[in-house]
Amino acid sequence: MKIINFCKALILLVAFLGSAGFAQSNKVLIVNSEKAVYRYETIATEFKKVLQQNAYQWAEFNLDSHANVEAELKQFIEQENPALIYCIGTQAYSLVHNVAPNKKMLFSAAINWRRLDVGAGTYGVANELSSAQELSLLRHFFPTIKTIGLLYNDSFSREYVETIKKDALASGINIINKPIDDTQEIIGALNELLPKIDMFWIISDPVVLSNKESVQQIFQAAQQQKKPVYAYSDVYIEQGAVLSISADIATIGRQSAGLAMMANQDKVPGGTVQSPAGSMVTLNKCALDALKLKFNQDALDSVNKIVGCEQ
Amino acid sequence: MIKYLSTLLVGLLIVSSSAFAETSTEQGSLEKELAYLAAERKVVVTASKMEEHVDKTVATTTVITQDDIAHIGARNLLDVLRLVPGIGITQTQFGWREIEVRGVKTVLSEKVQIMLNGHPLDHNLQNAGSAWVYDDLPVDTIKRVEVVRGPGSALYGANAFLAVINIITQNAKDLNGVQTSAGWGSFDTQQYRASWGKQFNNSAEAALHFNFTDTNGINSPIPADSRSIQGLSSNAPGRSQLTEGRYDLEWQLGYKDFKLDGRYINKKAGTFFGVASVLSDDRTQQDYNDYFLRLSRTWKIKDNFTVDTQVFHDFFSYDNIWQTAPAQFLHNGLQDTRTGGEIQANYHLSDTQTMISGFSYAKEQQGNLSDQLGVDPAHLLPTLPSTEERIRKRWGVYIEDVWDPLKNVRLTLGARYDRYNDFGGTFNPRMGFNWEFIKNYSVKFSYGTAYRAPAFGELGLVNNPVLLGNPALKPEEVKTFETGIIAHPVTGLTTQATYYHSSINQIISQVPVRTAISQYENSGSVIAEGIELETRYDFDGALQGSYIGANHVLQHSVQLGQQLADVPRQRTNLMANWAFDNTWSSFAHVLIKGNTLRNSGDTRNVVPGYALFDVGLLGKNMFGKKVDVSFNVYNLLDKHYYDPAPSSLNFIGDYQMAGRTFFGHVSLKF
Repeated sequence: MKIINFCKALILLVAFLGSAGFAQSNKVLIVNSEKAVYRYETIATEFKKVLQQNAYQWAEFNLDSHANVEAELKQFIEQENPALIYCIGTQAYSLVHNVAPNKKMLFSAAINWRRLDVGAGTYGVANELSSAQELSLLRHFFPTIKTIGLLYNDSFSREYVETIKKDALASGINIINKPIDDTQEIIGALNELLPKIDMFWIISDPVVLSNKESVQQIFQAAQQQKKPVYAYSDVYIEQGAVLSISADIATIGRQSAGLAMMANQDKVPGGTVQSPAGSMVTLNKCALDALKLKFNQDALDSVNKIVGCEQ
Repeated sequence: MIKYLSTLLVGLLIVSSSAFAETSTEQGSLEKELAYLAAERKVVVTASKMEEHVDKTVATTTVITQDDIAHIGARNLLDVLRLVPGIGITQTQFGWREIEVRGVKTVLSEKVQIMLNGHPLDHNLQNAGSAWVYDDLPVDTIKRVEVVRGPGSALYGANAFLAVINIITQNAKDLNGVQTSAGWGSFDTQQYRASWGKQFNNSAEAALHFNFTDTNGINSPIPADSRSIQGLSSNAPGRSQLTEGRYDLEWQLGYKDFKLDGRYINKKAGTFFGVASVLSDDRTQQDYNDYFLRLSRTWKIKDNFTVDTQVFHDFFSYDNIWQTAPAQFLHNGLQDTRTGGEIQANYHLSDTQTMISGFSYAKEQQGNLSDQLGVDPAHLLPTLPSTEERIRKRWGVYIEDVWDPLKNVRLTLGARYDRYNDFGGTFNPRMGFNWEFIKNYSVKFSYGTAYRAPAFGELGLVNNPVLLGNPALKPEEVKTFETGIIAHPVTGLTTQATYYHSSINQIISQVPVRTAISQYENSGSVIAEGIELETRYDFDGALQGSYIGANHVLQHSVQLGQQLADVPRQRTNLMANWAFDNTWSSFAHVLIKGNTLRNSGDTRNVVPGYALFDVGLLGKNMFGKKVDVSFNVYNLLDKHYYDPAPSSLNFIGDYQMAGRTFFGHVSLKF
């Protein structure tokens, strides 16, 4: 009998929790991790353009403009009572997740979103392109590439690297990954890694890519061992990457706005995280020729930009 | 098909890339990109700042993940635990299984603390231990099992004596929908499970699990009992009647910082042999009810200072009928409750130092005693009580500091003081360090003490013709020193070697006080020492998802100068998992157990060692990642092997365990 009473209490509690809700407005609050960062600001600008076109209201909160950021953000959220909070960057997401966990959230520009606590009321646009797509294109360009190596930091990129490895397995590519904790470990890790691989993949890991020196170390080591470098962004083409597939930053902002409007109207399932819709393929013909690397000529159709030695 | 999909993906990428080519050309320089990465580097997101990586803990810890459990094809918690180095599983005459840890084994496994999502499950106050209802816990809803070998009283209090087994189950986020599974196997075994979980927009969440399990048991031959060897009427020769059926319901409800969780279990079982050296027929019936209910809340005072609070209510009851002769039955029933609360402060002093401290209080109560006797289990008459109604109040304070003075060094220092109204206080410290002396090579050292509080039965057993309780009992104590090395010589390879030395004092044991009458006393000591070696290699590249692993234990436990009976000197597990592709994988496991010695005076030969070979096939994420299937064969070579029967049952030889058995399992996600 005690159990029956207990079950009744449970059912009532579940019903209560299920029915609880909050009155919501239609305003969107944009929380920017750091206005001075080009990527964040470009995304914010494009996001706002789409909202304006669709007659949406918004408010902005830039984390780097406030001293007591957590308290002020909390107060601002209470004051604005937004229907959805758009977090640009991991810092914004973490903070909003802490101060307003009950609010509908959308994020973008967060490195390796899989490490975030993405619940039912959270939506996102990934920072990284789908690794399955990237690997398919790599296979298309370089059919002879069998083994790709990459460096990463466990705290920032573990889940992303796991995804890459799973997708690589399906593509018939072998991934050799090496975790590092510090940029001082890059040289040693590269010396160990490069002899075993056909190509090096630069992923957007904030520890591996801590400064210009670490980027130079990667390209110098790869050049010495005559290994091609593939990168997640076209900014590394100038450094010597043979190929890059970049997610388009402005598109991420526009895509986020579309997702925000759909999420606000509950037209998209909670927990949805989309891959970036726009991308750009850049081929460094100069670096390819220097390495005498063979590639599939038919794949040139998919290249947006070819960089020669004269550029 | 794969080629087609690849072409499609490339096509999609080309289409999307062409459409947005123009804007991308305006993108920033390397400096801008690095500035973005620097901004992202400011935030490290982790699930819990108090979670420690296994490599960095000072305790000897083994973690078995949901993925591992799926590969093993585990039918219940015991199938998971038997792969852990230092742990052995054997059958008891009563039905439940005993958990041997580091060469020490008792019938009730009362020296092992089992916890569910951090909540202790030692709800049986009369006889202690958790194996009564948790030995055959279904595993479908388990996310992770953490096994910490060594004393844990400095953090967890009573009964975390030789090991702590923490079972973490799936929460709302893990489920995110409905999951069901069903399993069928030898001995008419059937298991069903349904789970539902959802996170709501208003930060509420709910997860519910329901499990049902039923089996006819292994029907092991029992050649004799104490009556048959005297020529009296008897059920022997016969077979074990270990039918087991259980259902349980678990709930995890959350709203903002509040959480209400718990689990209810009802378990009904026959018995393997029975009590009083008499083989039981199918009229021995054990009936257990067990639940806990916990309401908790985390209070965030500051970014680096949180307080966890909880109140809980635990309940355990049994209502058992034991056959003590072909026409004699004994009925025992009682109810135990534990009600209390805990407050724990978590203070992150810096990025390298975290301190926790807390206070706990609990009131334990035993009542509703029922004792009956008679020739017909349906018409029993009241008899004298076998134990006493009892109330115990206890409180404890604890503190622990985890500090990384250097990037490669972790120090842990903790202590706990517990005070009981019936036997006084006990103080238990814990200290240790972990030093990564070369990258990927760490050495560990730890020292700690633990205690086990006397159970109500040990204090207050009455009206028993051969055994008396002792209200003056003190807790039994253990001091453990251990050191080890953990290394990752190459990517994917983890190796660990641990040496431990435990000194158990004031053991609560049955000591003869008069002719044919014994009493519980704090008497004797046991020295247990051993070496645990374990290694695992996870393949990469084309073989990703495959692994090989092994663990080997050399253990030596001595009481009064003699090796403890019924525990082996060595045990080895060999495991291999081969992933054919992203879906299919096969698992193989070999358990090699050494001979086990007898008690002095027991003239039987040693229990011979054995090797068992298990295989399994697992298909995961089929039909749109919605279906998992597995099929396992245990003891593939149909090896005849035996678990040791105690000296009191020496006339039956030993317990013959199951031959080749099968288990199939299907899991669906919606």
